[in-house]
Amino acid sequence: MAAEPRPALQVDGVTRRFGAVTALADAWLKVPPGEFLTLLGPSGCGKSTLLNLIAGFLEPDQGEIFIDGALVTEVPVWQRGIGMVFQNYALFPHMTVAKNVAYGLAARRVPREEAARRVAEALALVKLTGMEERKPRQLSGGQQQRVALARALVIRPKLLLLDEPFSALDRNLRGAMQVELREIQRSLGIATVFVTHDQGEALSMSDRVAVMSEGRIRQVGTPEAIYRRPADRFVAEFVGDVNRLPARLVAVEGETALVECGACRLSVPAAPLAAAAAGTAVDLFLRPEQIRTAPPGTPGLTEAVVAARAFHGDHADLHCDAPGMAQRLLLRVPGHAAEGPGARLALLPDPSADAVAFPISG
Amino acid sequence: MGKRPFLGWFVTPGALCALGFAAAMAAVLQYAFRAHIPGSLEVGGFTWANFEGMLRPLYATVFLQTVWLCALTAFFSLLLGYPLAHALVHARSTAWKSVLLVVAVTPLFLGEVVRTYSWLTVLGNSGFVNGALLWLGLIDGPIQFMFTRFGVALALVHVTLPVMVIMLAAALSHIDRDYERAAHSLGAGPVRSFLTVTLPLSMPGILAGTGTAFAWTFSAFATPQIIGGGRVNMVSNLVYQLGFSSFNFPFAASLSIVGLALTAAVLGLLRIGTMRLERVGT
Repeated sequence: MAAEPRPALQVDGVTRRFGAVTALADAWLKVPPGEFLTLLGPSGCGKSTLLNLIAGFLEPDQGEIFIDGALVTEVPVWQRGIGMVFQNYALFPHMTVAKNVAYGLAARRVPREEAARRVAEALALVKLTGMEERKPRQLSGGQQQRVALARALVIRPKLLLLDEPFSALDRNLRGAMQVELREIQRSLGIATVFVTHDQGEALSMSDRVAVMSEGRIRQVGTPEAIYRRPADRFVAEFVGDVNRLPARLVAVEGETALVECGACRLSVPAAPLAAAAAGTAVDLFLRPEQIRTAPPGTPGLTEAVVAARAFHGDHADLHCDAPGMAQRLLLRVPGHAAEGPGARLALLPDPSADAVAFPISG
Repeated sequence: MGKRPFLGWFVTPGALCALGFAAAMAAVLQYAFRAHIPGSLEVGGFTWANFEGMLRPLYATVFLQTVWLCALTAFFSLLLGYPLAHALVHARSTAWKSVLLVVAVTPLFLGEVVRTYSWLTVLGNSGFVNGALLWLGLIDGPIQFMFTRFGVALALVHVTLPVMVIMLAAALSHIDRDYERAAHSLGAGPVRSFLTVTLPLSMPGILAGTGTAFAWTFSAFATPQIIGGGRVNMVSNLVYQLGFSSFNFPFAASLSIVGLALTAAVLGLLRIGTMRLERVGT
């Protein structure tokens, strides 16, 4: 067996409480060198607490944290060798761009010529050469973010921490910055922990995603795995759009289970249904693009009436009412598909659909 | 505004007060340029003599002493007030915060005379400090605190500290804590991050606090009167002596005017300094 490479970050059973509230419960994580890991969850899920624990701004009540193989649980922030980009960038307003970027080098007593060279390199990396003497408030939001990134990277940290760095940028700029950040991160090969509540951002940028809710890590996996094989109903509902349909468990056969919904039978992963008995009602989850339409009367999942159609260019979203379902169903059809409001449809699962089912909660 | 003309009447009390103050100021101003007739409360014609008289060493010394005491007071209240304000802003528990606030601000709610008399019981020859030192056998005879510049400065710092703490705390609480956190994440320990980030960013507060402490101290009367006992005089004491012992109202008025002008000049200089600071950074 080949030796596992030393992880850039290891979080072993970390718990943190604030008074009676458990902000983070028994978190375990391993980030291999060079990986881009995203902590994804709604506000209050514990992702920021976990990031602050990794950075050292908070101390865990239980558990240990290792950075690059070294135990850092008791090590103060300034000795952890991390680089961090804050949500508001926290650029020092009284210093020029060059002074901001050089700050961490000065703290490390890097000789002046070397520091100047590295500042120039870092600013070139984020395409801000020529802005050295500007003050932060003279820069646009995107430029401020680049300075914050250069400042965090110039110290060659063992671990890069990003706290919702895109939330203050407008939509167009955000997309461009995401691509650019990922390019820089990959070229430097620096392990990165990225915090966001935006599931689109998490899916598009990450090597792996850790989905969190209520202080717990619900699932860690590649964006594809998170999207196609969610481990529980929270992950299924939080990541991407999803339809919930009433179904019945038919049988469990090893790794897969068979569920019945309307006139259709679908195989789903068995793990989430381990505790359910055959015949019990379950919730079937299908993504909007995994449902096909057919003429009314075709045996399928259910019949539905289109209530609204939203055109998005390459595709259109159909919001459908189906008998006996409280929630509207969402279908994603090609943009040229003709179904409009009032159309009656039969709905069928896509043959290649990755359906999942969970026991009915509560 | 035009639709509710009755609102205009609410200005009346304020306007009357302002008028009163303006009249008083005008009276003092015109007194300052009148000749003093010894033995009479009547004043003579226009003269510059009062301002020329101020240049005599006896009075010039008092001015210098006042400025020196103000500077000392401002400096030491800054030195004591900064850590207090910092602790007040950064305290985690509300209980600790309240304790600090009470400690910092209480002197403000004691009258100046009461506060100053309490210093008598501390600094007097048979006061607390000398009593304790004598009892411990550290000194053979009482140390003279009363009627010294040190004693006056000490009491003045006590009076000025709350103002300084409040102004510094206001400035410090406006500094985003993320700056300090960013400095820590970049490898700067507490001392370095304080000196390179927190201190420069609190500079406007330091200037405002120091300026206010200076102006606040310039008008001190009861403290130098009681602790100084006539041996450490500040401008207000001089004004009092000239006005109510010698009945030289014109000279007292001119001293007040110059004191006022000096205070205004110091505040103006600080304002310019703050503006320059704002242009440079923050």
